[in-house]
Amino acid sequence: MNITTDPWIWTAAILTVMIFSFLYKDNPFYKFGEHLFVGVANGYYIVYYWHNALKPNLFEPLSAGQFIYVVPLLLGLMYFARFIPRISWLVRIPIGFTIGWGAGLSIPAYFQADVLRQLEGTVVTPATFADTANGIWAIIILIGVACTLIYFFFSREHKGLLGHASRLGIIFIMIGFGASFGYTVMARVSLLIGRVQFLLGPWLGLIKQ
Amino acid sequence: MKWYDRIATIDRRIIYVLLTVLVILPFFVKVSIPQRIMPQTQRLFDFIESIPPREKAVMISFDYTPQTQPECHPMAKALLQHCFGRDIPVIGLSFDPEAPGLAIDVLTRVNHEIDSLAADRDDSLTYGVDYVYLGWKSGRIAAQLDMGEAIAGVYPRDYFGNLIDSLPLMQRVRNYKNIAIVVIIAAADYPIDWIRYPQTRYGVKVGAGLTAVMAPQYYPFVQTGQVSGLLSGMKGAAEYEKLVLEHGYARTPGTAETGMNSQSMIHILIMIFIILGNIGYFFSRRSKKG
Repeated sequence: MNITTDPWIWTAAILTVMIFSFLYKDNPFYKFGEHLFVGVANGYYIVYYWHNALKPNLFEPLSAGQFIYVVPLLLGLMYFARFIPRISWLVRIPIGFTIGWGAGLSIPAYFQADVLRQLEGTVVTPATFADTANGIWAIIILIGVACTLIYFFFSREHKGLLGHASRLGIIFIMIGFGASFGYTVMARVSLLIGRVQFLLGPWLGLIKQ
Repeated sequence: MKWYDRIATIDRRIIYVLLTVLVILPFFVKVSIPQRIMPQTQRLFDFIESIPPREKAVMISFDYTPQTQPECHPMAKALLQHCFGRDIPVIGLSFDPEAPGLAIDVLTRVNHEIDSLAADRDDSLTYGVDYVYLGWKSGRIAAQLDMGEAIAGVYPRDYFGNLIDSLPLMQRVRNYKNIAIVVIIAAADYPIDWIRYPQTRYGVKVGAGLTAVMAPQYYPFVQTGQVSGLLSGMKGAAEYEKLVLEHGYARTPGTAETGMNSQSMIHILIMIFIILGNIGYFFSRRSKKG
């Protein structure tokens, strides 16, 4: 055992233990750790955005005489107008600008990447069967997509063939949820493993890093 | 209380203790649970293998946060070892404000590791020649699109304040034409922007290393080829570490590979508890009906 003397590792380790103490029950140590985290995170973001976004992208060009930057400054300030009821309507201008820009940019890109390319991926062609396993998976994907879409088709009652397809659709959806849940468990466990590696390694020196 | 009621209402603190024991145990007791390489991990590895040395660069977008470090840091490390091992230059950048510190940490570690093993100056890494870190930028969609014209237009200076044109690597990497693939190592939905915008407009190849929570969302993009390879959570990181180790780009196993032993044991425990909980629920429901 080779416990570190680095004060920052001790700080991180004590805070980790404070947060883990919640697993037993809520307590003042946990509350302290939680509040400290929220405060530090907010402070970090404010300082980071000031030094890396607002200052270089707005205030430095303005102070260098590039007055075109008054336009984004005004648009940004208009967001705060909603706190003054008399001029709260001004907030619509930057929102309209953001939505217009965002929609114009996103809609074609979204259709291309999320709709057309995904549809292409669902289409089964003779070339798909060049590899038999690949062909079988392509058929399963096609059935899965069709049945899942049928499940969300509410214009007709889910009876007969439509009912069977819709039930198959819900099975595909449940398999999807199950896979997502399994991955979420893996992600959360990974975070625990990471913290345990930190406590056993850099802090207590029990394992090699 | 009946036996089935008891197994359905196990005190959560007992579960936590068992979880903790199983996480710690593999670090002290040699447990070796074999890991099969998933096809999407192999695809990313093969893609990097296919890039000719000293030609196009690999762009890595470090977009993960300290809380997801156990999953993403090993991915970044293994990927860097692979690129540097093959003499492929790396350009790092970030769109998550929490990421630059982690990116600098992993780049510095890998740089020191390679330098300590280097036989001569040619084998060691030089900042500005072998790799560059551009830093963080706000407004990521506009930045990603503008880099298709000129990276220097978006990042006139690197993270350390050097003029981009003064760096030898950036004199030959001007835009996406000189980039073989962009690999996004992220804890949030960052890769989708790279797929929707730079890929759609400039045909940029995209790879991803994601936390396990995010990964399932990207499987459809792997199937269509929009994502050229995917590392899924700690498992993906462990698989890539294994590939990098087997091919001689690393000397020692990585942290994810060690962590996966704990991961596998916990998965078995969770499955046992799910089965026990269901048995308890099934029998208690039957006794209530009876």
